[in-house]
Amino acid sequence: MVSPVIRLTARGVVARKFRILLTTLAVVSGVAFVSGAFVLTDSVKSAIDNLFEELRGEIDLQVRTTIAFGDQGPGERDPVPLSLLSEISKIEGVRLVEANLRRPATIIKTDGKPLKVSGPAFAVAWSGPDGLDGRTLIAGTAPHGPNEVAIDKGSAKRAGYEIGDMVTIVGPVGKDQFTLVGLTGIGKFSGGAGASVSAFDPETANDFLGAQDQADSLLVGVLPGFSPSDVQASIEEMLPASVEVITGVQAAKEISGSINDVIDIFGKVLLGFAAISLFVSAFLIFNTFAIIVSQRLRELALLRAVGASTQQIRLMIIGEGLIIGIIATGLGILGGLGVAQGITALFNAAGAAFPTAGLTLSLRTILVSVFIGIGVTVTAAIVPAIRASRIPPVAAMRPELGFSALQRNKRLVVGLATLLVGITLFSIGLFVQPGGVAITLGSSAIGAVMLFLGVASLSTTIAAPASRLISRILPVPFRPMTRSVSGRLASRNAQRTPRRTASTASALMVGLALVSTVAVVAASVKKSFTEQLQSSVTADFFITNPSFQGLPVALAEHLDALEELGSVSPFRVTQALVNGEEKQISAVKPEMGDIVNVDVIKGEFGSLAEGKIMLHEDPARDLGVGIGDSVNFTWQNGTTSTLTVGGIYADAGVVGNWLISLDTLSQVSKVPPIDFFIGAKIAEGVSVKDARAAVEKVAKEFPSAEVQDQSEFQKSQEDQLNQLLAIVYGLLLFAIFIAVLGIANTMALSVYERTREFGLLRAVGMSKRHLKRSVRWEAIIVSVFGATLGVVVGLPLGVSVAMALPDSFVTTTQIPVNTIVGILLTSIIVGIVAAIFPARRAAKLDVLAAIATQ
Amino acid sequence: MTQVATHPAAAALNASKIYGKDDSEVRALDDVTVDFHLGQFTAIMGPSGSGKSTLMHCLAGLDSLTSGSVCIGDTDLAQLDDKQLTTLRREKIGFIFQAYNLIPTLTALENITLPMDLGGVKPDQEWLDTVIDAMNLRNRLSHRPSELSGGQQQRVAVARALASRPQIIFADEPTGNLDSKTGAEILMFMKHAVTDLHQTIVMVTHDPLAAAYADRVVFLADGRVVDELSQPTSAQVLDRMKRLGN
Repeated sequence: MVSPVIRLTARGVVARKFRILLTTLAVVSGVAFVSGAFVLTDSVKSAIDNLFEELRGEIDLQVRTTIAFGDQGPGERDPVPLSLLSEISKIEGVRLVEANLRRPATIIKTDGKPLKVSGPAFAVAWSGPDGLDGRTLIAGTAPHGPNEVAIDKGSAKRAGYEIGDMVTIVGPVGKDQFTLVGLTGIGKFSGGAGASVSAFDPETANDFLGAQDQADSLLVGVLPGFSPSDVQASIEEMLPASVEVITGVQAAKEISGSINDVIDIFGKVLLGFAAISLFVSAFLIFNTFAIIVSQRLRELALLRAVGASTQQIRLMIIGEGLIIGIIATGLGILGGLGVAQGITALFNAAGAAFPTAGLTLSLRTILVSVFIGIGVTVTAAIVPAIRASRIPPVAAMRPELGFSALQRNKRLVVGLATLLVGITLFSIGLFVQPGGVAITLGSSAIGAVMLFLGVASLSTTIAAPASRLISRILPVPFRPMTRSVSGRLASRNAQRTPRRTASTASALMVGLALVSTVAVVAASVKKSFTEQLQSSVTADFFITNPSFQGLPVALAEHLDALEELGSVSPFRVTQALVNGEEKQISAVKPEMGDIVNVDVIKGEFGSLAEGKIMLHEDPARDLGVGIGDSVNFTWQNGTTSTLTVGGIYADAGVVGNWLISLDTLSQVSKVPPIDFFIGAKIAEGVSVKDARAAVEKVAKEFPSAEVQDQSEFQKSQEDQLNQLLAIVYGLLLFAIFIAVLGIANTMALSVYERTREFGLLRAVGMSKRHLKRSVRWEAIIVSVFGATLGVVVGLPLGVSVAMALPDSFVTTTQIPVNTIVGILLTSIIVGIVAAIFPARRAAKLDVLAAIATQ
Repeated sequence: MTQVATHPAAAALNASKIYGKDDSEVRALDDVTVDFHLGQFTAIMGPSGSGKSTLMHCLAGLDSLTSGSVCIGDTDLAQLDDKQLTTLRREKIGFIFQAYNLIPTLTALENITLPMDLGGVKPDQEWLDTVIDAMNLRNRLSHRPSELSGGQQQRVAVARALASRPQIIFADEPTGNLDSKTGAEILMFMKHAVTDLHQTIVMVTHDPLAAAYADRVVFLADGRVVDELSQPTSAQVLDRMKRLGN
């Protein structure tokens, strides 16, 4: 015999399937977001692991220089002298030693334009398919001698080249033409995750790439019959202290690991937005259950009268939540696969080049999705279930006794207390920032959640008067809403179930509060950023690489030689330990002082030329150092130096917190240099037009370079910020979409509930049009209420976040009035959209049947 | 005719129920003392606001008294907590309401056995068959309430009330929502349940024709028992009601 509770539960869900559909949809989308984030990161990570494992090929050992801190890979460390190569090859058990060399290089297409790739564009030393690395020859032969090159198959195809063609390639020190002799791939991959790769024989690579008989690392293959660890030990013995030997497996893991760390951050951001969507869905589930419970008042009372215990009623409602949760989670996990594919496609379209090799659905993804999906649904059903179990049996005969009077005061107290605790936690997280990012973020997030719950709870109290107010002032066509019967009905209906109005509006409130918060922070960051750029960027030209791969150092030298330009300075970065903490150090020429204005408050920019350092006032204050004091640095390769402070500045917007000269950098780092950007000033007496022409002419030889004047540079920086914001808004849109579902669902349920009432209205002469309008206006009142709450909550949140952000990031707080007005106006559209289906349904009611409804 | 038993199935002793406070105080029941005998079909009558529904709700454990006591068998309801009251309703009491008697998602048979299912008790199949046949529901068992006529729905409700063989059945205007012919049919079924199946029914009604089916009529006015009739006819009942109305 099936337990009656299970039977009632299952039948309850089936009987209300259409009413429950939208609720399920909300949970499905939330869970899909969660599982999508996991599937995406897992898939990309496993693809990257595969790629680097393939790339490892037969490399058993890797010889590289040591670093004092950090996790930089080959190419980001001091190079290894090629002289070591012959010594290592003499060691017993060594089959093969190769130089590993990789430098930025651009392939010029058949049409003379540079081949644009979403990943890095580089050239490598390659010993051919019999060599150690995992590069394979797909067609043709391996390159030999100074005139031959092999290109990865994907890039060759996109650049329009076939074997035998002459290919122009621009390397870090110059460009040259080569005959294309072969097409390469990596293991089973024919492209390189959005990269373009040109391969030369080791000698040609050394010359063309300007490596000066040095390699990024040395790759070692071990003879069969020898244990790699024995060979590793023998190599270790002969190496100088600054050089180490590790296994090929570890080297591959380190590289894929550092990429995977970035993917993980990306995944965490996605999960954050998933949490927001789920939080909003919880309101929707709660609301649906609360409404369904009140609609089933007599049924539940009847069950109580014929002997169902309070516990059985609770179990029944929670069981319904469980069923929805299970179905929604199942669909959500499937949806997650779609989300992962969608996001990959979206980001690849934007040029991110995620490597993919099938979707990975791990057990962890399933377990987390099940836990979250079912957990959220069941949790949201608890309060309605308790409310249902409190329905007295006598309500079967006298429904008016169904729900005990609202305990207004109690709710006010609980709401206020939640709100206050929320604000406190949020403020502690933002302004006190107790130990660690995790605690800071956690405290702010829990604070924000409590704040939202508090406001949601309090909003019940103001729902009725607020609805009245909104219906009075809302501009509807021709006359105030309250003057028409439809408007009055809409207004009264919104007021008569304040609890429902409030919780529906709260879902939208959460979404729009976050949008307003982001809007305020974004506007503040933008304004600070623009102000900073305007005051600090006095350069006439900025030369950058739009794909963030950096610029060959030869470009700055060529520019420096131009008569049309006055000061020219590249900008490089390195890392150092200061007081045990890793800091990013910028290196520029002393001439940079003429190009950007860092607002020097003590000392002078020229002091860099004397080997002194300059630093921003914040670290100077933290370290307690002033002009003439010395600071100890431990550089990446382990060398240490004590440098004297020659200047302190106030504007870190462009150059960062620490500045040294290029000369100083060359003494402490042998890492192959890359220029992040180059700043230049026009020489006196030269016209902007002439100068630009001269700069463009030089830059043309370096296809990765883009020349921008001051306003173009500012605009491109702002564009980057806007792109980031567009992604954030896009993800928040998801939460708002769920909130819109919520309003639609509530309206549909209300229409269902008021079937008889609508029948009566139609019977006494209300037209379908007016009835529809009444439903629509009610939805508008609810969504405007939600949007107003959202803005009221979001603005102070945004202002606090903007204030809490460091000064180097945000200096002024800006409230984006246009965006806020936009949000409020959009909420009217949200209401209209949400009401489409419920209004149509209300209008379709058969008058006689509606009146006959109990 | 059934003999008046010595032991009451339900009883109210000095029962009072007061709603509101001070000026707005309403005495729904005012010191009511009344017995309902086993094996009898009793009707409670009275004009609107006479307290007849309140008396029934209190007798059935759906509502609590302000003072006095009610008993089902020899159990004093005031001594029971919600859990015990729930069990009592499930095992000792049957209900028939005016409308909305059935769970729309369950079939007729599932509705009939619902109280026993909720209590985890297996229905006595022989008795169940007797009840189903007595209510003439044999070929309606797998139907949902929405597929049944008003009269059929009410017969399912009667069958449910009978199915667990409760000590007493309370009916609240069971024919209020039915046309007179169907109503008469239901009342016949109820009378049949008392006379042939030896059940005890207390029915609240304001319809003299309905009350005429009962063995005994108790009249309430302003929260007090004002009169009673044995083996009434509808004319007698109507006559009393008219007097009460004045």
